[in-house]
This record gives sequence, structure tokens and C-alpha cells, in this order.
Amino acid sequence: MTHSPIDRAALRTPPGMARRIRGLSDRTIAWIFVAPTIFLLLAVNIFPLIWTIRLSFTNFRVNRPNNAVEWVGLENYRRILSDPDVWNTMQATAHFLIWTIVLQVLIGFTLAYLINKKFRGNDLWTTIIVFPMMLSPAVVGNFWTFLYQPQIGLFNYVVSFFTGIDPASFSMIGDVHLAPWAIVIADTWMWTPFVMLICLAGLRSIPDSIYEAAECDRASKWRQFWTITLPMALPFLMLAVLFRGIENFKMFDLVVQLTGGGPGNLTTLTSIDLKREAFEKWRTGYSSAYAVILFVSVFGLASIYVKALNKVKER
Amino acid sequence: MAEVILSDVAKSFGSNVALNGVTLTIPDGSFVVLLGPTGAGKTTTLRLVSGLETADRGRIQIGGRDVANLTPAQRDVAMVFQQYSLYPHLTVRQNLEFPLKSPILRTPRAEIDRKVGEVAEILQISHKLDNKSTALSGGEMQRVSIGRALVRNPSVYLMDEPLSSLDAKLRSDLRIELKSIQANFGATLLYVTHDQIEAMTMATHVGVLDKGRLVQFGSPREIYENPVSVYAASRLGQPRINFLPADLFGAAPAGATHIGLRPEHIVQGEGQDSFVQRVEHLGDQTRLHLSFRDHDLITVTEAHTTLKGGDIVKIRPEKPYFFDATGARVT
Repeated sequence: MTHSPIDRAALRTPPGMARRIRGLSDRTIAWIFVAPTIFLLLAVNIFPLIWTIRLSFTNFRVNRPNNAVEWVGLENYRRILSDPDVWNTMQATAHFLIWTIVLQVLIGFTLAYLINKKFRGNDLWTTIIVFPMMLSPAVVGNFWTFLYQPQIGLFNYVVSFFTGIDPASFSMIGDVHLAPWAIVIADTWMWTPFVMLICLAGLRSIPDSIYEAAECDRASKWRQFWTITLPMALPFLMLAVLFRGIENFKMFDLVVQLTGGGPGNLTTLTSIDLKREAFEKWRTGYSSAYAVILFVSVFGLASIYVKALNKVKER
Repeated sequence: MAEVILSDVAKSFGSNVALNGVTLTIPDGSFVVLLGPTGAGKTTTLRLVSGLETADRGRIQIGGRDVANLTPAQRDVAMVFQQYSLYPHLTVRQNLEFPLKSPILRTPRAEIDRKVGEVAEILQISHKLDNKSTALSGGEMQRVSIGRALVRNPSVYLMDEPLSSLDAKLRSDLRIELKSIQANFGATLLYVTHDQIEAMTMATHVGVLDKGRLVQFGSPREIYENPVSVYAASRLGQPRINFLPADLFGAAPAGATHIGLRPEHIVQGEGQDSFVQRVEHLGDQTRLHLSFRDHDLITVTEAHTTLKGGDIVKIRPEKPYFFDATGARVT
């Protein structure tokens, strides 16, 4: 016999305790306790989702409430998927996603590996490294516009120091080739510490005695890394990738503050594009369809990824 | 295989002195068991020999070579850890192969398979070779961990209570197995245990450690029959040796404050009366809990004794040990 979660909760309630409060059954009491949560969930999550799906098949515009709402079927979807501009924003998002994840995982894991070595003051270093993560993304965006200033920016100065290129000769934010990298660098600066913390948790979960056994088994440091450290930290690493992937798919604040989506629409990520369609152009039906497409793709990718993650954990 | 020599080795962890000037020679091909309670320095000794810890003072030689600056890999030691330390994401087979796949060894594939098969057979884990090491019971993990040491042919095997988590039957099987491996291959083994049966049955030499000092070193029989102190005497013997006031049975040598009587060193039917409190029938022998002049003591008697609680039995000490107030042996 299978029980619903509510039945199971009711079964776990100690007998005689809640059983006959004002003649209510355990089941009723359990429902009374979870009802507010279920109601909120329905009101703020499930209902808007269903409503969005419904709107995505119409030409509804929220700034013209008196216009007749027409049912347009899949027209919105057809227009979005055949719009080259949308594909450009998708490409910009993919570029941003892939490079931020690659850089953050590589640098984050390396930092975690170094911090995990026992040396004096490693707690202090951890705190210092984690600092960018504590700032507001809008502040970080603003902050990096100054760092990227061709004349006075520290970033340009450092690049010129190492390469000899004139700092005023390039603008990270204004250049069509550099702008996509400008947002990758800023995001990596801000969120690498987060990846590092997760990797550090993974590395610290490996008992010392396993390394000691490997020492005695005459495994080199290199072999220890590939046969012990990496496989055992891999689930944590994959979790970090999942978190950063989902976060950066919906990246908005940092990039808006830093580049505003420009130059042109080169750094217009899908979330920025969507916001413009929905709340600047007020094409509610169209943007609902856009949102549904994004939701389905993130949800699909994340599900496949979580399956892979579980497989790795089982190994 | 090689001889291992420790000379005046000391090690502290902060203010906690783990080893305090231990000098010990582990002859080539011997089976040396270190005995002592928790905190006596047994595991520290193993870890110092393995190279996982470095000594604060003193010298350690393996096969005539000073190993002070050598890593565990360079020392060529195989260690069995108390907490198993298996590689959790690998199968049993991969765990057993791990040491053989060291690039230093370059063991051919066929040789690896043969060795792993052989060791798995001895340890009765052949049917588990393709299981994940995390999917094993505690006893099985312990066997894999022993196996990982046995596939190699190191200078010295170091084992930290390797049989502690096994059931009684497997423990006695493995005792015999370890002893025969050591005897057949002439392996040098340094072995830490709490279990005196392991010490008595397997060891060629026993080292008794007390608070970081080696208090006695010799064959198990020597330590059993000729203990240097109360402490060493109480390490071996089941039931434990009885300690009583020295003059309880009559005159005692000068300076002696305690008499030590092993249970089998109490002759029954002669001497003075004692009162039987309890009789324990163990099958092959019977233990008598006696009360003698308000002191409790334990002795053994034949399996089919008719004695029962409340009886009076005459007893007389034979071959007693006398100890002084510091616990050192007088005669």
C-alpha cells in the first residue's frame, strides 16, 4: 500500500496527541498545516506559469487592456524561432554561459586545491577570495565600468603593463570583439569564489587516510590527483556547474549595469531581450512565448544534467 | 624483506608525548606485535616507520638504510589502516590492483591478475572482486585493505589492528593465514593490536608499550612467563593475572608489595581455605572466582569440576611473581 506525503505525516503523528483535537482527524489537521504553503505555491508559481502558457498563444498586450485578445495559436513561437535577432541573443548567452563556466570551474577548482593545502593563514585567504561574491551584482557591474575605462581604468592599465599595448587604444565595453569577453571577465571575477567554496567542500570531504594509503601504495601526486582527488570531488564540481549554469542563464543585473546589452545588441542576453520585449515593447503574448521557450530549454538541460550528476554520485 | 631498526625515536603532537625514546629492532622475517592500551604509542610507531609522520628525534633504518628523509613510497612499506582507507570510487579489483599499477613497479597485466586472484582467494573475497568497495560490509572492507598490502612484496608490512572489525571465525582464519604468509614468504611484519590472542598466536616478538616507552621486548612466551613489571604482566593472559598484597600467602621477599599470580599458577587442594563465589563453565575449562581473605581472585580448573558456588577449596600459590611499589618485578 502506498501513502501520500500527507498520509505519511499523519501516520507519524504520535497517537493520542493530535487525534481528536476538536474532533478533527489527523488527516484534516495535516491538510490544515500544509494548506497555506500549497496555496502560496499555487498562487505565485503554478498559476503564473499556466497563465503565461495561455498568454503565449495570444496577441495580448498588457499596456492595451481594452484591445480584443486574439487567439493566434503557435504564431508567436514561429516568429521567435525564425527571428535572427533572437538567435543572436541565444548565441551571446551560450558564449557567456560556456566561457563563464569553463573559466570559473578551472580557476575555482585550482584555488580550492591550493587553499586546501595546509598553510598558515589559509582561512584569511579564503575570506579575501570570497569577498567579491558578497557584493551586489549591480555594484559589481558599475565598478567594472570604471575598471574598463580606457583612460583611467585599472584593467586597461594592467593589460598594458603586461603586453605593452596602449591602454587608451582599446575599450572592453565599446569594442564589438571585446564586449562579450568584458562580461565574461566581470562575472568570473565575481562568481569564481562561489565555485571555489563548493570545490573546497568537495576536497575537504576526502579523508586524509585515503591519501596516506595512496602514499604507501606509491602513487605519485599526479596519480593521486587523477585517481582520488578528481573523481571524489567530481560530484561537487558538477553541482557548481549546475548552479552557475542556471544562475547565468538568467543573468541580468550585472550585464545591464556593465554594458546595457551593447554595443549594438552584442551582449544582449536572452533575459535582457525578454525583459525588453515584455516591459519596454509591451508585447506580452510574444514575450510569454519567449519565456516558455527559455523555461523549457533550461528545464530540459537541467534535467539531463541532474541525471548525469546522480550517475556520477552513484559511482 | 628487511630488518627495521628504531633508535631512540621520539615524537610529540603539541604537548602530547606520543613516543618517548623507543629503541627497537625488528629482525628480518620476524612478526613483531606491539601491545598496549590506547594512547601507548603503537600507531605512532607504525606511522613513523611508514613515513607518514616524521620523528622529532632518533633514527629509523629499514634494511640498513636511514629513511629519515624518505617518503612512504621510497621506504617501500605496505600499510593496512585501521579505518580501511579503501578508494571508495573503485571496485574491489581496482583497489587490489592499485599498488601494482604504480609506475615504479611496471607489473605486467598477467602478473597483476594472478596476484589479485591469489590474494582474493586467500582472503575469501573472490566473489566480490567486481563490487564497488563502498558496497561491502566492514569485515569485507578490512579484508580488501589487507589484500591491498598482500599483493605487494614490500620491505615491511605495517598493520594497524587489521582484524579488529572481523567476526570471530574469520579472525581466527586470518590469523592463521597471516602467520603462514609471514612464515612462507619470510615477510617482516610490524603489527599493532589490543588482542592478546593475536599477539600470542602470531608474534615471533612482542613489544609492550606504555605511555610512549617500550617497557619489554621479547618472545610472547618470555613476556608471559617472565614479565618485567605489573604493566607487562597484565598485557598477556586470559583471564588476567591476579594481583594481591605480597604477604597474603605468607612471607614475601624484601621490597615486594604485590604478588602476581597467573590463574594457572594457583594449585588447588593444598594450602589455605578459600571460598568459591562463582563457577564459569567455558567448555574446555572452568573458571573459578574465589574469595581469599577478602580478596577476589580468578583461577582455572578442569572442565568437568563438581565445584559450585559456596564451596570451600584449598589453594596454594606456585611460581608467583613479586613486584615492588613502583610496579617493577622483584623476583
